[in-house]
Amino acid sequence: MTMLRVRDMTVRFGGIVALDGVSLDLNRGEILGMIGPNGAGKTTLFNCISGVIRPDHGSILFETNDLTYAPPHRRAQLGIARTFQNLQLWGSMTVQENLMVPMDALGRRNTFSDALYLPFSAYAERASSERARAILHVLDLGRYARTLAGDLPAGIQRRVEIARALAMRPKLLLLDEPAAGLDAQETAHLAELLHAVRERFHVSMLLVDHDMSLVMRVCDFVYVLDFGKLLARGRPAAIRNDPKVVAAYLGEESKKLTGDVMTVAAARKEEPPLLEVDRLAAGYGGLEVIRDVTLSVRPGEVVACIGANGAGKTTTLRAISGMIHPRAGHVVFAGRDVTGSPAERITKLGLVHIPEGRGLFPTISVEDTLRLVSNSAGHEVDIAPAFQLFPRLRERRRQLVGTLSGGEQQMVALARAILSEPRLVMIDEMSQGLAPTVVRQLFEIVRVFREQGIAVLLVEQFVESALDVADRAYVFEHGTIALSGPAVELRSDRTLVTGSYLGTAADASTIAAANGNGHHIDPALMEVMSVRVPAKVKRALEQRAENEGRPAGAVVVELLGKVDDQ
Amino acid sequence: MTSRLMFRVLAALVAFTVLARIPVGFDVGFKFDSALAVIWAFGLLSLVLLTGYVGQISLCQATFAGVGAYATGLMVAGFHTDYLVAVGVGVAAAFTLGVIVGIPALRLRGITLAIVTLGIALVFDRYVFQDHAFEWFTGGTAGWRVDRATMFGLQMDSSKHLMSAYIVLLALFCVVALLMVNLHDSGAGRRLRAIRDSELSAATMGVNLTRYKLLAFGMSAAIAGLGGSFYPLVAGSVSPQPFWLFTSLQFAAIAVLMGVRYVPAAALGGVFMAVVPDVLTRFGHGTFMGHAYEISYDWFQIAVGVLLIVQLIALPDGVWGDLRARVRHARSAAGAIGGRKVKVA
Ligand SMILES: Nc1ncnc2c1ncn2[C@@H]1O[C@H](COP(=O)(O)OP(=O)(O)OP(=O)(O)O)[C@@H](O)[C@H]1O
Ligand SMILES: [Mg+2]
Repeated sequence: MTMLRVRDMTVRFGGIVALDGVSLDLNRGEILGMIGPNGAGKTTLFNCISGVIRPDHGSILFETNDLTYAPPHRRAQLGIARTFQNLQLWGSMTVQENLMVPMDALGRRNTFSDALYLPFSAYAERASSERARAILHVLDLGRYARTLAGDLPAGIQRRVEIARALAMRPKLLLLDEPAAGLDAQETAHLAELLHAVRERFHVSMLLVDHDMSLVMRVCDFVYVLDFGKLLARGRPAAIRNDPKVVAAYLGEESKKLTGDVMTVAAARKEEPPLLEVDRLAAGYGGLEVIRDVTLSVRPGEVVACIGANGAGKTTTLRAISGMIHPRAGHVVFAGRDVTGSPAERITKLGLVHIPEGRGLFPTISVEDTLRLVSNSAGHEVDIAPAFQLFPRLRERRRQLVGTLSGGEQQMVALARAILSEPRLVMIDEMSQGLAPTVVRQLFEIVRVFREQGIAVLLVEQFVESALDVADRAYVFEHGTIALSGPAVELRSDRTLVTGSYLGTAADASTIAAANGNGHHIDPALMEVMSVRVPAKVKRALEQRAENEGRPAGAVVVELLGKVDDQ
Repeated sequence: MTSRLMFRVLAALVAFTVLARIPVGFDVGFKFDSALAVIWAFGLLSLVLLTGYVGQISLCQATFAGVGAYATGLMVAGFHTDYLVAVGVGVAAAFTLGVIVGIPALRLRGITLAIVTLGIALVFDRYVFQDHAFEWFTGGTAGWRVDRATMFGLQMDSSKHLMSAYIVLLALFCVVALLMVNLHDSGAGRRLRAIRDSELSAATMGVNLTRYKLLAFGMSAAIAGLGGSFYPLVAGSVSPQPFWLFTSLQFAAIAVLMGVRYVPAAALGGVFMAVVPDVLTRFGHGTFMGHAYEISYDWFQIAVGVLLIVQLIALPDGVWGDLRARVRHARSAAGAIGGRKVKVA
């Protein structure tokens, strides 16, 4: 039975046609995936369905209601909930309060009885807060109930967004890139959660994400958008091999780098480090988040920081770039002690930080954002290279940054950093929100950096890709560095990585989940992705690896190869 | 939960008893200042609701107070009603105007909304409060004189019963302030605050923006109007000057200075607004080490401007907000209260 029927949706922004006659049908209980390059119109379609923007043309039918002209809150009442790609939590309210708003906005509450604290309101209040706590508990967010939503790291905010949408008890859930910024293990959990929500609550979903492992795993059917038009639709497996989709969105496999990485890294060994961080400690309020972080980056070196969400990577970058004040330790950049210097001074020395939230001004145009770089550099900088790197931005040059699609904003942030001719770029969540083809291109850019002698310190949830491109890597765990070494070694020695970084997760499922997306893909592992390897199997694998004296990862790959042959 | 409510009621009662005694024994001028302080505090409280809770900007709060004052004056001087009835009419008039002003606010925000409300203040200042066409409402150039008013059937003469006017005003303020604090933590308050933090997600999570924004503007105007309605009683007459454009601007500046999110900051700001200029005019001249000096009322404006700049740099959450944060920090450092001890990254 069709639950949502979208017909002929067309949206124009000035000369740009963001959506061009898109139609879509969603059945009850179905999870529908939607993929497409950056700026294809996915978020715009969500905006139309949730009523945030009015389409120029087209109609929306939800169950038996014509929604075309309904205001957003009316759609919420009918059971349509959504999450936002660029997080829209109510930052100055606690997580629990965030969940309670949609709950009682939909109930019958009265402003005056609330202010007077009449028994009716007090009762409803208790009921809402208990339900909120239950939902938080299920999503493993219970301990954040009393934290202000704005204080949470982005990865957790994304989960709170889902919790808040579920608090509405929706019939239809629109998820806009829920896996952005989540690591492989968390993405696997998310997939399970979405399945569970569908089973338990009979919620239909529309899912946009660039993480193909998630889309492939949870969706019954996939729509592909390109330039606002429907490019293809079909079952996930068919979409994956559709040549049109591969050409427009997924792209070809990149070849894996091997030996030459080592030689580059070796060549830089003699030069003195560009950035030296010594026993750094930092935190927020009464809480110490990182301690004893010691790392170094040489000129032209690409260094990856990996580790679970909350391990302290973002905080480390912030403390280095002066966004927060270190509590102990030293940061030496280009031979100067910059510990606790103001961020602007550090930037002037050639250390550019692209923060998680991208740090852009929404009401400035793309072109002006890029020109600002030249102003702060003190001389005119040619902004043409930015457009060569990201041709998409050329067409969007007059558009306000705030109205760009999520991926386009990430491009602007990267372009701005590159234009400032830095000596070291620190990128937090580099590939977040970018389409697979762009991600691949980005990793190429990082390689170009290395050739030009620009050093890169990157935080990346896609461990495989990060290790592919990096010379060295630091593995963060519980606010400090648990492990470090040349990326090549870390990559082959999977027990090391799984031991500290992936914690208790089963090897195979996490390796597999890291695939898709322009990130390195092991086809055999893609298949077993949905199988949770039981703890016993894992132990057996480790034992075998120990006996044979090689990494467990290698054993897994070999075993899977055998399975494939049969 | 209920213990928190009890605590608040208690706090309001204590505040009332303490504040009610302060002007006793001072001269009439100071008593007048005290009453005026509460009237201005109502104006600031209206901004706590509108800006602090809902995130809307308004530069015409004094206009709402003025409409309340004139409507009350009209009822008392023109129709000889009981003062409380007149206050009811004044509040209703202000509420209505607030809802009307709220209509453009449905589409506008930020600087454009500021300019639109500024325009409204200007229009009322020039073309309503001071225009012949509205003499029926404003009582002409002389304004309404309210010499003999009755409240609860009791005689409330402005010059002789300044103290009782002050007590009634203060009691009302404590009640409204208490309701405001309650509102903040209630379901409706959460919806209002959701609009402040992100309109986009508030709308998609089921908050009816039209309804709540209009309600917020209406309630805010009503609060300002409630204060204004007592102006004729306290001053004995109504004139355009106290409710001119500049008072609206002062409301905005002082609300931000004291902490626009906090109810007690409104009381603090009211005192500041009423007492400091008076102190300046009384004691602002004399001789110091042989030199005659004079600090006029103009200095007050300059001082507010300078303080505002200092505050924006040093105490971004306002005087009260910063005080509060310091106290909380000290308490959680002392281990008395758990505070927010949650892992953050
Ligand atoms: N308010 C607006 N004004 C002008 N152009 C806009 C506006 N909103 C969106 N666009 C443009 O419409 C196009 C579609 O944007 P949309 O956000 O739907 O992309 P998307 O498919 O979600 O991309 P991504 O994967 O990067 O999130 C983009 O090119 C964007 O720049
Ligand atoms: Mg998008």
